[in-house]
Amino acid sequence: MNYARLAWRDLGRNPLRLSLTVLAGAVGVMAFIFLRTVVDMFYSGAAAAQVDRLIIRNKVAITQPLPLSYFPRIAALPGVTAITHQSWFGGTMGESQRDFFPNLAIDPSSFMKVYPEYTLPPGQLTAFQADPCGALIGRKLSQRFGWKEGARVTLKSQIYPGEWTFNIRGIYDGTRPEVDTSALVFGYRCLNERLPENWKDQVGLFTVRVDDPARSPQVAAAIDGMFANSPYATLTESERAFQLGFVAMSSAILTAVKLVSNVILAIILLVIGNTIAMGVRERTRDIATLRAMGFRPRHVLLFVIVEAAAIGVAAGVLGALVAPPLLEGFARAVESQFGPMPENAVRVQTLVLAALAAVGVSLLGAVGPAIRALRLPVAEGLRRVA
Amino acid sequence: MDTASQPMVRLQGVSKVYRRGSVEVPVLESVDLSIAPGSFEAFMGPSGSGKSTLLNLISGLDRPTAGVVEVAGRDLARLNDAELADWRAGHVGFIFQLYNLIPVLTAAENVELPLLLSPLSRAERRQHVAAALEVVGLSHRTHHRPPELSGGEQQRVAIARAIVTDPELVIADEPTGDLDRKAAGQVLDLFETLHHGLHKTLVMVTHDPHAAERAERIHHLDKGVLQ
Repeated sequence: MNYARLAWRDLGRNPLRLSLTVLAGAVGVMAFIFLRTVVDMFYSGAAAAQVDRLIIRNKVAITQPLPLSYFPRIAALPGVTAITHQSWFGGTMGESQRDFFPNLAIDPSSFMKVYPEYTLPPGQLTAFQADPCGALIGRKLSQRFGWKEGARVTLKSQIYPGEWTFNIRGIYDGTRPEVDTSALVFGYRCLNERLPENWKDQVGLFTVRVDDPARSPQVAAAIDGMFANSPYATLTESERAFQLGFVAMSSAILTAVKLVSNVILAIILLVIGNTIAMGVRERTRDIATLRAMGFRPRHVLLFVIVEAAAIGVAAGVLGALVAPPLLEGFARAVESQFGPMPENAVRVQTLVLAALAAVGVSLLGAVGPAIRALRLPVAEGLRRVA
Repeated sequence: MDTASQPMVRLQGVSKVYRRGSVEVPVLESVDLSIAPGSFEAFMGPSGSGKSTLLNLISGLDRPTAGVVEVAGRDLARLNDAELADWRAGHVGFIFQLYNLIPVLTAAENVELPLLLSPLSRAERRQHVAAALEVVGLSHRTHHRPPELSGGEQQRVAIARAIVTDPELVIADEPTGDLDRKAAGQVLDLFETLHHGLHKTLVMVTHDPHAAERAERIHHLDKGVLQ
């Protein structure tokens, strides 16, 4: 026997209550991980942003186009090593939003130079570039709908009238796990040729790569300065700032989600604190007996802390282990409405944070009961009948 | 100083007053008492007479409002809480009416508890535990937990726990109060063994006249005054 064994054995006094407390804590940890992952997913675009890329959009609003004629003028600026453009297509397979997936018109000849994180066999890239209405789909999108190379996909756009049919010429992968492979991209020419005259030769935004990320602010200023007095003034910002701009649109929701995740921690604290308080109260006489025998307050504190830490660790580990597969299952169930969950959406940091938070709040929850146990006079404790 | 002539317990002018809000409740009034080493003394009295308070003061679980409590020549008032805890661990064994065993520990583990505070090795602790359980006749119940033992057996485990550190002073608060006559008799037989065989100083509080009869000296307390 030793102190640790004594503390450990003490944990087994009420196995049912202990199990239920650990379970409640684990559910809280899972909820915390779920909400934090939702927040992380909002920021995933910003996290995947490259430091050497700048996004150029219409200064008035992101929904306003820019003239395609800007392309060579921006490309000619010092510091710009590559440029491409893309336009949000907003296509769906039917009236329903359930089968939504991102789809954009891109410039096949320049896109891969600016976005090297997308890879596909050279033959597929060549076929895509050669077909005016060719399309590339990401690996996840391919798996989601079972689309293969050679398939034809017809979309209805919310922006551009009519039905649009694209020939899938390749399937791209990401060089990193966080690269999104759930989109469809097709050649801009296919779109531009069918548009009325007043819509032609306009794009959603440009993306450029710069030779020196440290000089990005100067390059951005040069681009915006060049078009400052035109009807289509530009706003150039880093890719990260651009992505964070989208996140900012949902800031109220994100704040609420973060708040709820913190409330969950508070609930875990109350649940575990309550259990420990009950345990300590039930053991008042035993604690007093130990103190009578000569055990010091620090020993009692050790027992309470071991109990709290054990509950916290068990809840944290259980929650962190169960959360990822549970989240994946949930994501699969709602995939049709919200699209697929990105690869490795549940970050290791989130799991570790959740587990540590569970241990932290458990220890915090033990503070009150521990102080009460230490303050109780021994003689009074001995009179208590459990 | 001749320690052999020193009393094991000496109380001089000891009073204890509890406060209930703004009300002062006197529990003990100017108690003078001397208990010789190796004696077996019983305290009797009605409920609320101050018996348990007296035991708490003698065993260093509580401090008097006034007066001096000396045990084995040591003035307990001079010890701070930590020193008092260490002193109890080395010098006092406790026996309670409801046994106060830890229910999740086996009999041997319960007996071993006070030894965790000693510098003994694990093997030495086991030897002491085995010896103590043998004294109380429970060597065959080593691995049983309290709920698996009868009341009498539980109290014998508690006695083994009280003597495992070989304390000079054993304090027993209503040790037979929760036992049937037969089990109570076995416990009191053990007390006589502690007294005569192991020469422990036994101080017992009891309501039971049969239990008190086993003591060498019976003290009566009434309304906090030693008769």
